[in-house]
Formats: sequence, C-alpha cells, structure tokens
Amino acid sequence: MSVVMTATTTSPRLATASDYIELLKPRIMMLVVFTALAGLVAAVGVSGQEVNPVLATVAILAVALGSGAAGAINMWYDADIDAVMTRTSTRPIPSGAVPKDEALAMGLIMSAVSVLLMWIASNVLAAGLLAFSIVYYGWFYTMVLKRRTAQNIVIGGAAGAFPPVIGWAVVTGTTPLDAWILFAIIFFWTPPHFWALSLVAHKEYKKAGVPMLPVTYGAKATRTQILIYTILLAPIGLAPLATGLGGMVYGLVGGLLTLAFLYHAVKIWRSEAGEAEAGDAERKVAMGMFAFSILYLFGLFAALIIEHGFGLYFPLGAL
Amino acid sequence: MTDATPGPDAEMLLKAQKRRNAWLAVALVAFVVIVGVTTAIRIQETDFSGGDRLYFTGYMDEAASEKADRVAQERIAARQAAEAATDTEAADNGDE
Repeated sequence: MSVVMTATTTSPRLATASDYIELLKPRIMMLVVFTALAGLVAAVGVSGQEVNPVLATVAILAVALGSGAAGAINMWYDADIDAVMTRTSTRPIPSGAVPKDEALAMGLIMSAVSVLLMWIASNVLAAGLLAFSIVYYGWFYTMVLKRRTAQNIVIGGAAGAFPPVIGWAVVTGTTPLDAWILFAIIFFWTPPHFWALSLVAHKEYKKAGVPMLPVTYGAKATRTQILIYTILLAPIGLAPLATGLGGMVYGLVGGLLTLAFLYHAVKIWRSEAGEAEAGDAERKVAMGMFAFSILYLFGLFAALIIEHGFGLYFPLGAL
Repeated sequence: MTDATPGPDAEMLLKAQKRRNAWLAVALVAFVVIVGVTTAIRIQETDFSGGDRLYFTGYMDEAASEKADRVAQERIAARQAAEAATDTEAADNGDE
C-alpha cells in the first residue's frame, strides 16, 4: 500500500485492497466476462466441440485479467481528467491512494499475464485477439480517440465488443459469422448506452475538455444519434435468429427487449435530456435509458447462455 | 542521532506493505499453479503421435498440419522425379 501526494490531492491516504480492485474497473470487467462466457457457451452449442472446463475457466480468467489490465492503463493515462470530474475524482489515482507508475506497472504486467494465460489455455488466435483488444482500449481508445473526437465512443466501442469473439475462438480456434454478430451487437449497443449517461454527465466532460458528443454537438444531436443507433441495433440484435444461433428463447427475449429499447430511445429523443434547462424528469429519462441498455445486453447474452448452456435451444424453424 | 524506533505512521505503513507483499506472493503462487495445471491438462489432451502441437489447436493446427503435409508431398514428388530422371539417364547410358 502506498502513500503519495499528487497534484490533485490535499491529503494522502493509505491504499486498500478495494483501491486496487477499483483500478481494474470491476463493473466493466463483469460485463466483459459475461459476454465472453456467452460467446464460449454459444460456440460449444453451435460447433459441438468440447472444451475442458478447467481450460475454459482459465481462458475466462485471462479475459477478466485483460479487461482489468486495460482498465488500469486507462486510469493511469486519464488520471488528470479524472481529477477534474467530480464523478471520477475519488478514483484510486486522483485520490492519491495508488501512485500513477504503480497503476501502469500493474496494467502492463497483467496484460502480459492475461495474454500468456490465454495462449496456454486455448490457442494463439484467442490470445492474439485478447492482446489486440487490450491495445485497442488501452492505447487506441484511451490515448488516441478519447480526447480527440466526438466519435470516440463509436470507434472505441469495438474494444468492448471483442470478448464474445474471444470466447468463441477459445472453443473453435476460429471466428465465424455468428461470433461477429455478437461483436456487432455490442458495437452498436455501446453508443446509445454511453451517450445516455453522457447526457447527464456532459458538464463534467466539458469541464475536463473531453469531446463527448453532447459537449461538441449538443444534447439534441446526441438524442437523435441515440435513436439512430438504437434503430440500427434492432435488426442486429435479432440477427442471431437468422443464422440459427438464437432459438425460441432468444427470439422471445430478444423481441421483447428490442421493442422496449426502441421505446426508451424514442422517449429520450422526444425529451429535453441534456439541455441546460433540463430537470429531474429529463435526467430520469436519460438514466432510465442507460439502466435499460444494460438489461438489454444482459438479457440477449443470458438467453444465449440459457439456450446453449442448459440444453434449451429450440430452433425457430421447428415452429 | 537518528530514532530507530518507528512511529505509529511508519508502523502502519510497514503493516500495509507486508499485506501487499503477501497478496503479491499469493498472486505469484496462483499464477504458477494455473500454468502448471493448464500445461498438465494440455499435455494429457494432446495426441503427439497424431502430429498435434501443444500450444496450437483447432483451425491453427489444421492449417499448419495441412501446410506441413503439402510441403512433405511436394518433397516426395520432387525426390521421385529426380530418381526417375537418374534412372532414365542411367538406362540411356547403358543403351549406348
């Protein structure tokens, strides 16, 4: 545990275990692990190939470590803007609990360990994809895109979309169309998910000089973009039904969730969320969209796990 | 003159440092165990006599093994062609 004084803190504090856990962005890690697991389980169900449960567990652990490593590198690089924003000022580095260099070292070592573990537990393709996604998030999104373009979330969203593809590659050593459909679902889901939150936190981003869409193009343009991306996401979210990856359970869950997601998108589009004069009601609409988007993604991938992991796959063609 | 007795803050720091060292040790041991168990399983599941490789599976292996087969067949064909050419030459020389 380290005690340091940073430019952003008035008093140093001792780091606790939870500071190091927070450095790994555990909430993002949970989503990453869950979608990787769904890709892995779906690959077993679709391809019929078996994977040793211990090796599968190590592979999922590698994905979790890789996600945490990328999170630590992100926090290392973003420490200056995290200190400016109220929401992130209590993070381990700006609060003075964990020194910047320590966070970077942790991120780099964990990156190497995660890729190595993935390689020995599965294959070089899965390890390569994991390495690529860490570099994509830790360097391309964090250091290149985030502070330069309002499209940061759109392009950077690919980093979070890789886990199901990695999970699939762990089982089969390939990345077929079904795996890339899962990639596309997360890729098109990320902008409406994140922009809903940024409509609430846009003043913070402005203060930190981060060109999020509401800061550069305004709240109205952001709400329109949320609607457009949700409309684009609707058919992609249901695409597993066309390839046979999703069965009746996926069809039912996906259909209902898609309709509800579109409802939230239209609601936010018609609202004044993110405007200067927006009140609590508008804030609730934006946060409602943000919360529902998490449920949407969780529901789709949970349906795949239920179908392929618990023997409840009934093809739609059997109807 | 220096005070060798650590103050309460120094003691707290030392305790924290020890805790962190203990966690690092646990992580290192866990890493070694995971690598060991994983390697043991991989060795058990790999059919070395069938041409499998330890750390390459699935498509990567098939591609590599197909290429190796192709190269081997090309070499055999080239050797057979060379042998046939030598035989023909020897026969021609004998005729003379």
